[in-house]
Amino acid sequence: MKRYSSETSTKTLEASGLFVGTPVVPTMAAEGRSLFRLNAVDRRGRKIEPAVLEAAEGIYSRAFEHGLRLLGDPAVVTTALEEVAAIVSRAVRTKDPRGDPVEVRDLRAYLFRAFLRHVNHLKRKEVLVVGLSETARKSEPPWADASRELSNKILLDEVLAQCDFIAQDMAWRRMQGFSWEEVGKVHGLSAHAAEARFSHALQQARERLKI
Amino acid sequence: MPEPKRKETNEEEFFGFAKSYLSEAFPNPQRIDCPPDSDLIRLAEHPSEVDPFVSQHLTCCSPCFNRYMELLADLKRRSAG
Repeated sequence: MKRYSSETSTKTLEASGLFVGTPVVPTMAAEGRSLFRLNAVDRRGRKIEPAVLEAAEGIYSRAFEHGLRLLGDPAVVTTALEEVAAIVSRAVRTKDPRGDPVEVRDLRAYLFRAFLRHVNHLKRKEVLVVGLSETARKSEPPWADASRELSNKILLDEVLAQCDFIAQDMAWRRMQGFSWEEVGKVHGLSAHAAEARFSHALQQARERLKI
Repeated sequence: MPEPKRKETNEEEFFGFAKSYLSEAFPNPQRIDCPPDSDLIRLAEHPSEVDPFVSQHLTCCSPCFNRYMELLADLKRRSAG
């Protein structure tokens, strides 16, 4: 069994009294650190490949903290990670039926991004339900700003997950205030072509998400 | 032309939010899978020569993202000067 540092997550859980009842099995080791293992199948009984399981346990601490901030329930977060690991396992089996070794570093990154998207999906459904019930009572609901921020976050995660390397690099440079002309120059494109390329990726993500 | 102006404003808001979100959403205190600084420098100066994993990593690691923003800011200053 692998050991992972999870002091922060553990403290959060202990403070909130939510340590009991999660699919994770915490065991206090002699040195005072917790041991986490995910289930080898998700809640629907789908098998998680050993390499994916190992990658999922490798990102568990980070994924858990991020998921907990958004979803608030450790059990939901852990279940979400297991579901994503099962889906990724299926994708790995389909793409790589011979069972060649997968680059672990890439697998962890891929799994983490897939987890972010899944958490966003769950959160979006949650906000939609709250939104509909609040709309019935108020004309200008207090969750409007939070909902807008969530939409931006979901859109960003979708764009970054789906766009190619060049569009991603364009985004980094635009975030730092580069003009489209400067961005295009780096990639051998005109300012207009660079802008069009990124706008297309953004528009595709908007259409997929219906935002 | 009202339409382009609205688009520009939306894009500005989107990138502003993205920078703020990515700079703190993924603390990664154990620096799991972080590339060396030299990879980030190469990504800033010659993006096509770097493993796409490095750019992908920036989407889920705030320390590396912040460092990369610093490098891009330096690059922009040097280009302007």
